[in-house]
Amino acid sequence: MGIEIKLVFDLLAFMSVMVLIVLGLGIIASMMGIFNFAHGEFVLLGAYTVYVFESSGLSAWAGILAAPLVLALIGLILERLVIRRFYASPIIAMLGTYAVGLVIREIVRGLLGGHYKSISEPLPGAFTLFGVDFSIWRTVIVVVTACVIAGTWLFLARTSVGLQVRGSLENPNLARACGISTSRLYAFTFAFGAALAGLAGALIVPLYQLSADIGTRFLVQAFLSVMLGGVGTFEGPVLGAAVVGGMAAGLPWLVMPVLADPLVFIIALVIVKFRPQGFITQGRL
Amino acid sequence: MLSKEASELTVAAERVPERRGTRSPVLRRILPYIEGGALVVALIVPLVLSERMDLITLATNVLILSLLAISFDLCWGLSGIMSFGQALFFGVAGYAIALVGRDLEFSELWGTLPLAMLVGLLLAGLFAAFLLLGRKPPTTIFVALGTLTGAYAAERLVSGWQYVGAGNGLSSVKLLKIGSYEFVEGTAFYFLALGLLVLIYAGARFLKQSQLGLVLAGMRQNEERLAFFGYRVQLFKAVVFSLAGLVAGLGGALYSYHQGFIGPGNMGPGLSTTAVLYSLLGGSGTLIGPVFGAVTVEVLSYVLSDIDAIKPIWPVILGLILLGVVMFQPKGILGLLVSDRERIGSYGRRRRGG
Repeated sequence: MGIEIKLVFDLLAFMSVMVLIVLGLGIIASMMGIFNFAHGEFVLLGAYTVYVFESSGLSAWAGILAAPLVLALIGLILERLVIRRFYASPIIAMLGTYAVGLVIREIVRGLLGGHYKSISEPLPGAFTLFGVDFSIWRTVIVVVTACVIAGTWLFLARTSVGLQVRGSLENPNLARACGISTSRLYAFTFAFGAALAGLAGALIVPLYQLSADIGTRFLVQAFLSVMLGGVGTFEGPVLGAAVVGGMAAGLPWLVMPVLADPLVFIIALVIVKFRPQGFITQGRL
Repeated sequence: MLSKEASELTVAAERVPERRGTRSPVLRRILPYIEGGALVVALIVPLVLSERMDLITLATNVLILSLLAISFDLCWGLSGIMSFGQALFFGVAGYAIALVGRDLEFSELWGTLPLAMLVGLLLAGLFAAFLLLGRKPPTTIFVALGTLTGAYAAERLVSGWQYVGAGNGLSSVKLLKIGSYEFVEGTAFYFLALGLLVLIYAGARFLKQSQLGLVLAGMRQNEERLAFFGYRVQLFKAVVFSLAGLVAGLGGALYSYHQGFIGPGNMGPGLSTTAVLYSLLGGSGTLIGPVFGAVTVEVLSYVLSDIDAIKPIWPVILGLILLGVVMFQPKGILGLLVSDRERIGSYGRRRRGG
């Protein structure tokens, strides 16, 4: 009994990590049609912010709070300088954001000096429930993810800015004709997506050691999650991330770990091939 | 709001400027001169450098990577398929011949190089069948992410698989040989690589200027219209993608023999995006451009990584170069010299007195 609960909890924790990472990517992909290759590096920068805060003697909590803000700022600057040139051409956007990501990753690698840094969990230890130990930090991640999903959904569904976002997604030209500044909205969306990535990075860094490649390992899975769920929806990427995260954490229990990793990709690709519109069809962000 | 350069690159700047008689007919076509000049330089290089073994090795390596660059250019420059996984075919073919050498003790040139090409062709064909063919035409994003995923998944699989050396890759690959003559690093290998590169290049050039090339040019401009004309657009793409896999496979085999090593890093997205950089920097769609790109990047990184101050920031510089090319000069270096008309290619009979 205990082992099953543990397994379910581990699955849930990893799914939360995936959802956190994918949410920002999915919003940017839905809104601007850009698959942001630098997303993994945004996650890395979020993690790095926590590291900077902690190593300069401040509390890690301050770092976790600061990471989304820092990333929102970086996202805003990048959007103004680089990303907005690519809105018409998704393929070029991939190349451009890949280059941005490469630059960020290598700079951080230089700053870290090629070492792995471990960040301790701000809330270490575990609590026991029904005779099973649960890691407190993983529980925090699950709870925060749930809050972020709920918050983002409320924001998109209930606020006027959210309405503008949904409107420009459905029909950018009509939105512009109604006096909505789509270019400002795009800048805002990109910053928002980057902030979510920063938060994800800040939260997951205690689970994984901080290295320059912390974001890259999630990037391909995150892309597949977005495609799997369906571009242009809010629920889609969340669902896709949950499925991919669940597979990535669950398959090693079923097949050899060496095969499990590529198998996730193959299953996801095959599903996308035969259902290219995703789980949830477009137009309902 | 859209930058002009960015949108130009997507359609590979298909608009042909209507300038006639502004240049003399001799100068209108400068690509053949560039190609000829490159060949002459490539023939002279080993004679000049015969003292410096390390430079000959570098030059051979550049030639081999040029094959990868051409392979990518066949996909992107000619048929508009963005492949983030070109290194996959490179790496798998390299692994295949390394395993044939290790387990079957066989490394005859007439056997292994065709085998590598076949491996590349079949694997790319398989990918093309899955990604491109089907009832619904795939989105370009799906193809790009599909190739990326393939390369990434393969890299992860290989780096955990003991039989193929896991993370360490396969080292001390058997030397390539004809009969009893073994190709070690050096001038002989250089000329072998050069010969094969010239053959492949000529083939690719023929492809570009053939009727198939004309269809591909039309596809780049307006895929839907070509489909309405009755061309099975995806099938053409699949064929070119498979051929690109063949070229990459040959490159991978040569790489494996030349370095005596093949590892997971040689098939992942890292090398694939380097191929993208070669092609875009040199000028995609020109075939010779990607070769220039490969030469530029590899020679620069060889020279600059000797300087201690630059070595750690070299990847950053590479990223900035890629960003700069994508943003400001999507036609690449050759775009500065070669007219759009020539870059895209001209087909049919030349009009008289025009």
